[in-house]
Amino acid sequence: MSLLVLPSTREESWRWSDLSALPDLAERKPSGQVPPELPWIDQPGPRLLFVDGAFVAEASDPGPVEIAEVDVAAADHALARLAGRSGWRLRLGRDHATAGPVQIVHVSTGGADHLAAEVVLDVDAQASILETFVGEGWTNRLTGLTLFKGARLMLARRLLTTAGFVSITDRASVGEGGSLIVTSLAAGAADSRIDGEILLSGEAAYAEAGGALLARGKQRHDANLVVRHAMPAGMSRQVWRSVADDRATCSVAARVEVARGAQKTDGEQSLRGLLLARTATINAKPELEIFADDVKCAHGATVGELDPAALFYLMSRGVPREEARALLTRAFVADAVDRIGEESVREAFEQDVRHWFAGAA
Amino acid sequence: MLKIENLHAEIDGKEILKGLSLEVNAGEVHALMGPNGAGKSTLGYVLGGRPGYEVTEGTIVYDGRILLDMEADERAAAGLFLGFQYPVEIPGVSNVQFLRTALNAQRRARGEGEISAGDFLRLSRDQADRLGISMEMMKRPVNVGFSGGEKKRNEMVQLGILDPRLAVLDETDSGLDIDALRIVGEGINRIMRKPDKAVLLITHYQRLLDVVQPDVVHVMVDGRIVRSGGPDLARELEREGYGVLAA
Repeated sequence: MSLLVLPSTREESWRWSDLSALPDLAERKPSGQVPPELPWIDQPGPRLLFVDGAFVAEASDPGPVEIAEVDVAAADHALARLAGRSGWRLRLGRDHATAGPVQIVHVSTGGADHLAAEVVLDVDAQASILETFVGEGWTNRLTGLTLFKGARLMLARRLLTTAGFVSITDRASVGEGGSLIVTSLAAGAADSRIDGEILLSGEAAYAEAGGALLARGKQRHDANLVVRHAMPAGMSRQVWRSVADDRATCSVAARVEVARGAQKTDGEQSLRGLLLARTATINAKPELEIFADDVKCAHGATVGELDPAALFYLMSRGVPREEARALLTRAFVADAVDRIGEESVREAFEQDVRHWFAGAA
Repeated sequence: MLKIENLHAEIDGKEILKGLSLEVNAGEVHALMGPNGAGKSTLGYVLGGRPGYEVTEGTIVYDGRILLDMEADERAAAGLFLGFQYPVEIPGVSNVQFLRTALNAQRRARGEGEISAGDFLRLSRDQADRLGISMEMMKRPVNVGFSGGEKKRNEMVQLGILDPRLAVLDETDSGLDIDALRIVGEGINRIMRKPDKAVLLITHYQRLLDVVQPDVVHVMVDGRIVRSGGPDLARELEREGYGVLAA
């Protein structure tokens, strides 16, 4: 892996990243040891298990998902271009919805693994995908998402990896009246980098890219999103909640670009951070670039601490300090997690958040 | 039940309580009255254990325990309830979730088992009904979007559910219209007028005391209690104003 060329933090979009662990992780040999309990949620539908990036057919029921060569362009992205071309592909037509969410569990066992994926939803097709990342190592993913007219995709990701690094890059395009909702939760103990570029290529397309980043110790989470409104009447929502304790860092850079012809665009960015310790860091960078004149773009970025009045109120009713802090912090994160429409997936997210707090030192 | 002796307390280095002494026995309702700035709310917060209030001298004994050695949540588990003058809004946490968490935390601290979901729902519905708070409001985030009067009634719902032994109620009557005042006052009587319980009612005005009749009335001026007496004292103050005390 001497070919590993990593971007410098002098590059604007990598300024908050720390990729220094990657060269070492890239050299390590995976153990191949799969944990006995895998984080499937109790729902019908296709299931795919990948261990160190390799498909495990006997533990999977892929349904309409194919193991295939895919072609997603990401040559410009230092990590995504390592993902290669082999991976999984889901192509659905309007009458081929799956019984439940497509569940994909990625287990890394100590080394570096790379995988590409492609989702193509035809006119009016619908899909729900839940990806869960566990284990340890460097897990690197590139996913292409193409939604044709009226297609709807809900993509939820649980980053629960306990050590190492998770890098996820999405390249998405949403056609007329289509709807793409990507929600991520980083609640493990690994560092992470989430990249997304979403192009609203048809009129009245809708996109949400958001989630919650929870970090403690010396952990670093870093999310970098761009939504491009190319056509009129599109709507986008970027709602991120970051929580950082100890000496951890959470960074979110979210950008909305509105092209000249994209009138009646409605964009909203809400980037909020909660510091659980004065030694933690939260970076929030909302950006707007607007070339149309009839648009509505709201953005807000705040970073704060737990409200001492609320903390005292809870304690005065008998809730011990740590439990009160966890309750208030979970409420803060809920804004981002509550947006998940599918109940079983939302419950899994809520459980991950609770589990994260239970693991507090 | 509660014995305060020579209490001195300050905020940001400014002394607010200047040698306050007060004893409240089980079965009694005490009213604490006094002009703005006398330190009434400070006393409430010191009793509740709010950070930032530093006790520099004096003792508070509650049920034989040194109150100042206990965290706010430990005080609550020991049966102390502080009714807030300005109840706090907590977005993202429902009333029901908040109260169930609080009640179960108190029960755990006392070595009791947790309350079942069904029993808790029955208890909260009953208490909310009596205060004119709907279950729909109970499912909303704590105090968010509640009117001033609704917040105060919500405090009384909490009082009913948590069922404390000593209630320190800070200006529970402020922001209430006549009907709500009666509902809240009757709530205090119903929940707290028992031989093994006691109330310290901090108030400006006589009107709540018409519903919740005190056994003892104290007047506080400049960080101390300057006069104590029976219920007549409150009426006298209502008539004459606090000015007479300065004389």
